[in-house]
Amino acid sequence: MTSPITIGVLALQGAFSEHIQLLRLASQLLNPTTTTPPITWTFLEVRTPVELAKCDALIIPGGESTTMSLVAERSGMLEPLREFVKVHRNPTWGTCAGLILLSESANRTKKGGQDLIGGLDVRVNRNHFGRQVESFEAELDLPFLSSITQKASSPTNNLQPTAVHPFHSVFIRAPVVEKILPHTTGVQVDEEGKDDTVVAPSKTAGEGVGRDVIGREVEVMARLPGRAKALSDSGVLAKDVGEEGDIIAVRQGNCFGTSFHPELTGDARIHVWWLGEVVQAVNKRKEAAAV
Amino acid sequence: MATELPTMSNGATHNGDSNGANSDSVKQGLARMLKGGVIMDVVNAEQARIAEEAGASAVMALERVPADIRRDGGVARMSDPSMIKEIMAAVTIPVMAKARIGHFVECQILEAIGVDYIDESEVLTPADYVNHVEKSPFKVPFVCGCRNLGEALRRISEGAAMIRTKGEAGTGDVVEAVKHMRTVNSEISRAAGMSPEELRVYAKEIGAPYELLKKTAELKRLPVVNFAAGGVATPADAALMMQLGCDGVFVGSGIFKSGNAAKRAKAIVQAVTHFKDPKVLADVSCDLGEAMVGINCDKMAEGDRLAGRGW
Repeated sequence: MTSPITIGVLALQGAFSEHIQLLRLASQLLNPTTTTPPITWTFLEVRTPVELAKCDALIIPGGESTTMSLVAERSGMLEPLREFVKVHRNPTWGTCAGLILLSESANRTKKGGQDLIGGLDVRVNRNHFGRQVESFEAELDLPFLSSITQKASSPTNNLQPTAVHPFHSVFIRAPVVEKILPHTTGVQVDEEGKDDTVVAPSKTAGEGVGRDVIGREVEVMARLPGRAKALSDSGVLAKDVGEEGDIIAVRQGNCFGTSFHPELTGDARIHVWWLGEVVQAVNKRKEAAAV
Repeated sequence: MATELPTMSNGATHNGDSNGANSDSVKQGLARMLKGGVIMDVVNAEQARIAEEAGASAVMALERVPADIRRDGGVARMSDPSMIKEIMAAVTIPVMAKARIGHFVECQILEAIGVDYIDESEVLTPADYVNHVEKSPFKVPFVCGCRNLGEALRRISEGAAMIRTKGEAGTGDVVEAVKHMRTVNSEISRAAGMSPEELRVYAKEIGAPYELLKKTAELKRLPVVNFAAGGVATPADAALMMQLGCDGVFVGSGIFKSGNAAKRAKAIVQAVTHFKDPKVLADVSCDLGEAMVGINCDKMAEGDRLAGRGW
């Protein structure tokens, strides 16, 4: 017996094809012993509410967040996306523009603001590092990947788990999480009152959603400590950006967000890790439904 | 077509160093983020805001849209940097700007003011009849036009991180863009069926670097993001180019030379996302008002054609 799981990649605009490619790679690399019964994966480009309804989990890719939110709104996708993430609490991962859309609050949006989906109690700062000429690559230390084998980053290597080797990442006009907000069940009221900041509307989690995914606080999953190193010629020192560095990956319950683009690297480790999280979430939900 | 562009580990061309903004991952990465989107020509901050509200994934800042460049004649140059800066201040989406073919100093200036992409464009009057700009050393990424595979691969080898068809800008006639895209596609499928020996001869024939041609033949598509440009005027035109395998669409004169710019711009954005769904295309094509009048490419004198510029 196999168990089917469908992962959608929001395909309104941006680098959705890259995520589908890495999901295919990651599903082959996922350790089969962690998934019994074996899983039949389906990876789907999502442009309509009907396609979204088929999905157990969703990736919102990099691209232009303003474009995605406008197209989502005009395609009747904005409310279904909010339901998917905030009412049904399905596992959702946003990269770069996707992180912006999953935030409850965002700065430096276009004039007149933009629609957010929400899900992560954070405030993001768009285009934090500046324009394209300030885009960069960096080697990241991602502790949450310690359980993922080397094989996922380089299919030719052996399967032995090794010390986490750095994750090569690409930051393109990237946002960062500039503030972790207190968890609230309603809208982020303090944020709403700020000038030049937009917030996502609140939604109540649906019945039957496990309590473990509601009311969780935001976890910081990764920081970018040595921005000085990445911006080698701009004269920025580590102390200027704070000792701890910028927050570039966060998780809260079912939501995961990264400000960089794992889909641009060919390194499938984060996708392998996230598929593992999705399997757990789907299994928990099935158990809850069976009781 | 619509063949996948592989992720960087096996897809990126490597010309630059691997850190900082002038690496290929970073330059080609931004092009990947623009995919499935529409890049609109704008001549001032007000138009840029209309484009952003319509859902453009980037804007191209220029002094005159190609239709006006045709009408006015004279030398068309890089736009006034103060006008480009105003547009950069008005919107949060990426801002591109055009430099003349071969005019590397205009490129240096555009890089200095911080534009997100430079289009080394045949729409402006060429500054060099022989050489294109050596694009690899720049931090800012470049997009260049092509009519065929050889031209596309020459531009990529010079450092272009993104390609577009040339089409025939400022006409509102999509026929040349279709011809250029079909030419690139058919040349790629020819190359894909060739032995290594044949590929060497073909590389010489089309004036393309062998290694890039080999990679293209393996991928069965261009190794960088490829947009449509030149003559796109309707949602149907945009979806046509997408179904031919383009990764996204530039719209130049087609929007702000039409009756209801904001509505048409939104419709083209929807058409590029839902390019495979004729029902959506039908919906968004309704009541758009007058399209740009247009010039028929087949009635055009050779000397009026912009696509012939560049080599």
